[in-house]
Amino acid sequence: MDKYQKGIFLLLTLCWSCASWAKRPEYKLELKDHLFYPAEIEIPAGRKVKLVIHNHDSTPEEFDSFDLNREKVIFPKKKAVIFVGPLPPGRYGFFGEYNPNTAKGTVVVTDKPDAETGDRDAN
Amino acid sequence: MKSFTAKSFIRLVLLVFAPMHLAYADGVVVDKVYHPYVLPNETEVEWRLLSHRTSKSNSLGQRFAYGHSLSETIIAEFYVVAERDDTDDFGLQAYEIEIRQMLTEQGQYWADWGMLYEVEKQHDRDNWEVATGVLFEKEFGRTSLTMNLFGIYEWGQDLDNEFETEFRLKYRYRWIPAFQPAIEFYTGQDFTGAGPAFMGIHRFSGQKQLKWEAAFISALNTHSKDHTFRVAIEYEF
Repeated sequence: MDKYQKGIFLLLTLCWSCASWAKRPEYKLELKDHLFYPAEIEIPAGRKVKLVIHNHDSTPEEFDSFDLNREKVIFPKKKAVIFVGPLPPGRYGFFGEYNPNTAKGTVVVTDKPDAETGDRDAN
Repeated sequence: MKSFTAKSFIRLVLLVFAPMHLAYADGVVVDKVYHPYVLPNETEVEWRLLSHRTSKSNSLGQRFAYGHSLSETIIAEFYVVAERDDTDDFGLQAYEIEIRQMLTEQGQYWADWGMLYEVEKQHDRDNWEVATGVLFEKEFGRTSLTMNLFGIYEWGQDLDNEFETEFRLKYRYRWIPAFQPAIEFYTGQDFTGAGPAFMGIHRFSGQKQLKWEAAFISALNTHSKDHTFRVAIEYEF
């Protein structure tokens, strides 16, 4: 393999990797008045997905989940991205660290085919 | 969880064992195994204790630290180090500044990466040490593998100019927040050790939380007594 072939191979690998990222399902969550909408979100089993959380409140929140092993600060009026999975089917709780009594939710990991569709709206 | 394939296993074995050939530090290498994650708006105070016992000596070291995140991906910590020396005097030993940087978003890639930078100066001597570390973490279901590889350069009035490396590893089972058992492994030029470790977290209101960890590391490369007990307590707010 000469250097041009190597270069093309590297480029194709890079494109394939980018395409893989682009295909990653994306799920949207909203945070309003210290509540997560939806409070329960279904994602597919065995796949890495992207949760995009939009904090509409005027105070920061921290997404916290021992089950999902994630902690992430979401600044007021900003969006934060959390990568989750691949996970086996089950229920994985999360909460907002600043408002743990109200800001609660569950990620439901399921084998159901309709959970495969990403780019879902929160409401 | 994605199936743990043979390819994943080979990659993991290479990642774990390749740094071991590089590790040749000659100091006490048992200390904290660093995670590559940083949270913004985080302030922390920390206390660490190290008790190193051999058949001839029992040295004790304590570290007190204050840290604050400077951005979404960088946290700085300032340490004061106190040690009990050979004459049983316990006193101020060194100062240290540490910067930890999160390089990748948690869970975005196959593994998570970070960097650590440290500068240390002895209190009453013109002895210095700089260190750079690569921090790695990979989740396997409810377990996490964390590895640190450090390159260290030391020089000064009582030290030979010397380059060293250290390797640290922790394999943790995230059982419940309050109690997470682990195995830790450390290696340097004159020391290779391993042993059980435990960590936990207790949450208070808001961002306030208390993290603790403890480990008992026995040397694997000597037949004589060589144990290290370490404890770390960290309060985040």
